[in-house]
Formats: sequence, structure tokens, C-alpha cells
Amino acid sequence: MKDNSSLTSLAGPLALAGGAAMVLAQYFIWVYAPVEVTMGQVQKIFYLHLPVAWWGMICFFIVFCASIGFLIRKSPGMDQLASSAAEVGLLYTTLALATGSLWARISWNTWWTWDPRLSTALIMWFIYAGYLVLRQSIEGRRKMRMVAAVLGVVAFLNVPLVFMSARIWRSIHPAVFASEGGGLEPEMLTTVIVCVAAMGLVTAALILLRFRQKNLQERLWSLYASDSRFNG
Amino acid sequence: MTPRPLALMAKDLRLVFADGAGIVQPVLLGLILVFVFSLSTPVGHDVSAQAAAAIFWLATSFAMILVFNTLYSSEGSNQSRIGLLLAPMPIQYIWIGKALAGGVLLLMAQLVFLPAIVVFLGQDEVTAWPMVLGCILLVDWGLVAVGSLLGAMSQGHSARDSLLSVVIFPLLIPVLLAGISMGSYFLGDGSGEDLGSWIGVVLAFNALFTGAALLLFPFIYGEY
Repeated sequence: MKDNSSLTSLAGPLALAGGAAMVLAQYFIWVYAPVEVTMGQVQKIFYLHLPVAWWGMICFFIVFCASIGFLIRKSPGMDQLASSAAEVGLLYTTLALATGSLWARISWNTWWTWDPRLSTALIMWFIYAGYLVLRQSIEGRRKMRMVAAVLGVVAFLNVPLVFMSARIWRSIHPAVFASEGGGLEPEMLTTVIVCVAAMGLVTAALILLRFRQKNLQERLWSLYASDSRFNG
Repeated sequence: MTPRPLALMAKDLRLVFADGAGIVQPVLLGLILVFVFSLSTPVGHDVSAQAAAAIFWLATSFAMILVFNTLYSSEGSNQSRIGLLLAPMPIQYIWIGKALAGGVLLLMAQLVFLPAIVVFLGQDEVTAWPMVLGCILLVDWGLVAVGSLLGAMSQGHSARDSLLSVVIFPLLIPVLLAGISMGSYFLGDGSGEDLGSWIGVVLAFNALFTGAALLLFPFIYGEY
């Protein structure tokens, strides 16, 4: 089995850097960024909501790329990367949905609304939850990997269509970066950038840590399977 | 000579109807859904056109799950699948054959669901029947493209019905939304100003998943 130790050794430094960046991000959120006039402190949810939503989608893109990589190279490492990214992406999308729902309650006086971005996030959550359930359900590791890779590809191909179809319904989501300046105060914009960068480091660390765990699990499984004492 | 996908479709249809059961199970499930949802409004109140269209496509989706599980389980015994894999033809022909057979069975089920929607849900203002048929065929194409691709996925799995439902339904959202929206218009609700956009969404979905299925099906079906 291919050793991915050089890649996974980055997990520790990335986790430390991510932790430090998250501390710095707290300073930007609570001290540097001004309090929004209408929503008050509740608006600070945005600094968690937006990074997890963006990085969640990037995680799903990693699943897509790794799935294509697996279908081409049949490398177990690609499959492990895809499943690691799917787990982190699902966690982030859950957080994005929860924080978005809190925001919606305060801002729009509803817990949920049929908005393109909200709906796309929820549908992606369902698809990747199904992806992870599928990985647990199919017997035979080779078949499971192949089927998961195919689903990883078609799931992401579906994203633009899900978004378009949801968009034909009316949207009330704020267009954060739609206009110049994004409709945000410069201090808020800087804070958003810091939070996105910090979350990026945490995301990379989480994916690599999970990837390393799966890699070790695979190696243990190979040792177990090849040991004649266990094969009877 | 019969083109091979058509021969495969004919073989599957003969197998489905060989024991006399045919598509009784998907049709019954769909009818039960229509009936149960008819209880969602107080007695004497009509179900809205959009709700009726949603119930129609929900019944169709559940029927599709059962149809493709039946179609792909027909090669489950006696290693018949190996015979199909060894046949001198591109493996994608199996996907096309199953999709065609699934499409035929789905249309047959919808022939029952449509009158059931009219009767149980009080939808008697259906306009432009040829357009209704066109809309159904367009959406069905998307459904069977995905159904035939992922139906192979759960082959040989003990909980394949539930597994397939969990995986397929979220993928079908764009085409189901389009079907519901277009259906709602043809049942006499809405202005139909978004009709062109919805047809565009369905055509894009169909093209995307047909292309993806032709590329990806060998990875699923060729694997044990």
C-alpha cells in the first residue's frame, strides 16, 4: 500500500495553525468588527455561517475530484480522501444549516424558507448523508468504493441544477458579495476573510487527520487479512 | 435484427410480466400514496394543483424505485449477470435496455396514477393533454436515466429498496421540482411564465445524467 505519511504529517502543523487562526478570528469577530445596527450581536453568526458553508461546498468538490481520481487510478488513497472530505463537508453543511436557520429566525422571522442557497445546502446534505450511509451499507470493499466514487461524481454534477431549480422559486437570501464591497463594512469584510482563512486551515487539518485515520485503518486491515493465523 | 438495447428491454419486460405480477406492486404503492395524501385536506376541500402534481411525482418516484430494483434483480439468480457482461456488446447497452424497460413500466404505472389524481384529488381541470404527455415523457427520461444508473448500485443488497430511496431521491430534486411545477400549471394553477425555464432545467438534467450514466455505468455494473 502506498505510504501517504508525507501528506498526513502536515495534519499536526495545520491543526496548530488552524487553532491559532481561530483564536485570531475571535478577536476580529468580537473586537474588530462593528456590531450590526439592525441585528445586533446575532449578526456575528454570519462569521461562522459563511466560512462553514463555503468550505463545506469545497469539501464536496474535493469528494468529486477524488472520486474521479479513484475511477481513473483505482487508488484506495483517493477513496479515503473522498470519504474524509465527505465527512467534513457533511459536518460543515450541518453547521451551516443550523446557523443559517438561527439567522433566518432573527432576520426573516422564519426558521426555514425556500431559498436557493438554503435549499441547495439541504439537498447536498441529504445527498452526502446518503453517500456516507451507502459506504456503510454495501458489502465488498471494492464494489463499495466503486459505487461511492460514481455517486461522488454525479452528486456534485447535480449542484448547479439543484441551485438553478431552487432559484426559480423566489429568493430572499442576502447577496453578500453581489455588489462592489459586498454590501459589508470594510471591517466586516476583513473579518470575513480572516474567518474563511482560519476555517480553511481547520478544514485541511480535519480532512488530513481523518485521511490518516482511514489510511491506518486500511493498513491494519491489510495486516489482519494477510496474517495466516487469522486466515485459519 | 432487433437492436440490442431493444432486445434487452423486451427480455426484461417479458421477465417482469412472466409471473403475472407485472407492475402490480409499484402501482399499488403509488395508489396508496395518492389515497393517503387525499386525506391531507378537510372533507369537501380540494387539493391544490401543486399538491396534486407533487403527489403524482412522489408516487412515480416510489414506483421507479421498485421498478428498477425489479429490473436489476432479474439477473440476480443463476449468475445471469455474467451472461449479460459477456455478451458481445458495449456494457452501456445494458443501461439503455434497463432504462427503456423502466420507462415503459413507469409510463404504465402513470397511466393508473393520472386518473387516480383526477378522481381522488379532484383535479378535473386538466388542460392541453398533449403537453401533459410531453411533460411526463420529459421528466420520465430524467427519472429513468438516474434510476437505471443507480439501480445497478444496490443489486444484491438486502435492503436495496431503502438504500436506493435514500440515495436517489435527493439527486432527483431538480427534475421533480420541474415536474411538479409543470404539472401544477397543466392542472390549472399558475401563469406558466416559468414553464420555459423548467423545460430548460429538465433538458439539462436529462443531458447531464444521460452523459454521466453512459460514462459511469460500466464502473458500477462491471464491479462485483
